[in-house]
Amino acid sequence: MKKSGFITLILALACFTAQADPPRLVIGAVYVGSVNDYGYNRSFHDALAQVARDLPGVKVLEAENVPESATAEGIMEGMIQQGARLIFPTSFGYAASARKVAKRHKDVAFEYAGDGDASRNFGVFFGSTQIAWYPMGVAAGRMTKTNKLGFVVGMPIGYALGNVNAFQMGARSVNKKVQTVVVVTGGWADKAKEAGAANALMDQGCDVVGMHVDSPATIIQTVEARGGMSIGFQSTEARALAPKGWITGLGFTWAPFFTKVARDVMAGKFRGEAVYQGLGGMVAIAPFGPSVSADVQRQVNEAAQKIIKGFNPFTGPIKDNRGNLVLPPGASIGSDQMGSFDWYAEGIIGKVR
Amino acid sequence: MMTPLALGVLAGAVLSGTSLLYATLGETLVERSGIVNLGLEGVLLMGASVGFTVTAVTGNPWIGLAAAALTGGLANALFGWLVVLRKANQLASGLAMMFFGFGLSALVGAPHVGAVIVGLPKWRPAWLAALPWVSASTLFNYDLLTWLALPVALLVWWVLFKTRWGLGVRAVGESPGAAYASGRNPAVLQFQALGFGGVLAGLAGAHLSLSLTLTWAEYMTAGRGFIAIALVIFSKWNPLRAVAGALLFGGAEALQLQLQARGSLISPFILDMMPYVLTLLVLLAWGGSRRLAAPAGLGRTFFGSE
Repeated sequence: MKKSGFITLILALACFTAQADPPRLVIGAVYVGSVNDYGYNRSFHDALAQVARDLPGVKVLEAENVPESATAEGIMEGMIQQGARLIFPTSFGYAASARKVAKRHKDVAFEYAGDGDASRNFGVFFGSTQIAWYPMGVAAGRMTKTNKLGFVVGMPIGYALGNVNAFQMGARSVNKKVQTVVVVTGGWADKAKEAGAANALMDQGCDVVGMHVDSPATIIQTVEARGGMSIGFQSTEARALAPKGWITGLGFTWAPFFTKVARDVMAGKFRGEAVYQGLGGMVAIAPFGPSVSADVQRQVNEAAQKIIKGFNPFTGPIKDNRGNLVLPPGASIGSDQMGSFDWYAEGIIGKVR
Repeated sequence: MMTPLALGVLAGAVLSGTSLLYATLGETLVERSGIVNLGLEGVLLMGASVGFTVTAVTGNPWIGLAAAALTGGLANALFGWLVVLRKANQLASGLAMMFFGFGLSALVGAPHVGAVIVGLPKWRPAWLAALPWVSASTLFNYDLLTWLALPVALLVWWVLFKTRWGLGVRAVGESPGAAYASGRNPAVLQFQALGFGGVLAGLAGAHLSLSLTLTWAEYMTAGRGFIAIALVIFSKWNPLRAVAGALLFGGAEALQLQLQARGSLISPFILDMMPYVLTLLVLLAWGGSRRLAAPAGLGRTFFGSE
């Protein structure tokens, strides 16, 4: 998703352990952007720092701003030469390079943040955010005064549509009158259009705005300047951007899974598999803003607990925003089908294509 | 309170059009001296990145703005060294400058991705805020660059068409040989035009990162430099028509976002194409008379009087 054709290659040798003994495990992590982005890349960096703190003898090699090209292959080879036995290619576009390197080094474990097949030394993982947007909708549905929510989407792919749908369904579960207006910018990082989209939503009387773009910074700050409220995405740190209007948000928490994988590799029992986790696993809810009452917080946390216990809001009957029954009673959309949405749920103002 | 569509589009047109206008004015100056800088996109990016970085480090957006302007001027001076002094091909050098700008801006901006900055301050006179609808919209709540956009366009027009220096620049753009024969130094005039044009392009980039979006992201200009090059042709190398061009394109972009926010039933993909379709239509409609308007020496390298 990240446009990063141009290299600012910094091979940072971050050594989190200060001991003189040879490390018990060297981990290599390849990032598409900067770990200072307070977003996607930062979430992996923080998780690996946590792993190094929790497991003595673990050393982490990190490479930032690595393009999604053959360059990534070279970086991973270099890490293996420096002793890495576990590699995290953390961007979707590393698939081809990572799979090639994994074929050449059967003794090295790979955990790739994306999708596709897993193999003996190649695991696949990702945080499933769609259903996690449901409690975000609960928060928005309770906080709105105009009953109009806004949502800025970079590209109308299935995963993004799923986020919006769960958001609206969560909002509707606590507020029957609520609508969600969707604006598509046409790019994951077209910042000027994101500002324009946020302004357009505010012009239409939306008072709570959510988003699915690379970095939420522009939208959150534009909404804050117009006196609106926002729900963040990609980073639980984004609340610094909106001291007044921040409600809550979603971010990634990879540390527990990474720690388990590192332990498995050290014990010699690593087996690659596909692991997708939502709330309670790889996805977490950010702290609430100052304007969110204890009652709203309790209701959001209840919705989150319900989801952690297995509640799936994408269970029929569900109607789309044109009144068609898209999911018959009893049928549901599983967490492995979150990319398959091609409709907007009832109450969403927007057109898919 | 809901803002009427026309007001929303106008407000969006001004915000999005500001950086377009500065970029178009800068390129107009440069092209009037006979040089095409296809690297404008890269200059915008460098301005946005350096402006943001300096603001993040110093905490002062005015220092960031000055640094962005200086960066734009220096970038164009480097381009001038290539195409004026070294007589390199302008189109190839321009494209190389664009990629250079992509890389350098990413390198400079990388450590400050995600930094929170205080942007350029905005003012709205009280009597304007008192108008109906205005207080609830972004209308007239502008930073210095937006307030100065129209005066700067007038200034560029005045300098180009009403001063001796402007006459020299235009003479060089039409026929460097004739200008040289009449006692002007084409290289000096082209360097000066490139320098001022670069400052304007740097300011255009800074408006994006220091006011409109308050963030730096790789390739955040998303093609605005190329739109500005098209707008130079649209405005027939006239700084005053550039104002209309920037507003029209900014308005088309704002219109597609505003229509979506109003629940329009048009496909978002079609709405997304609107500004570019508009650009194509305008270029098509004005294509016939383009030869009359373009500086005659545009894109040609002057090898001296030998």
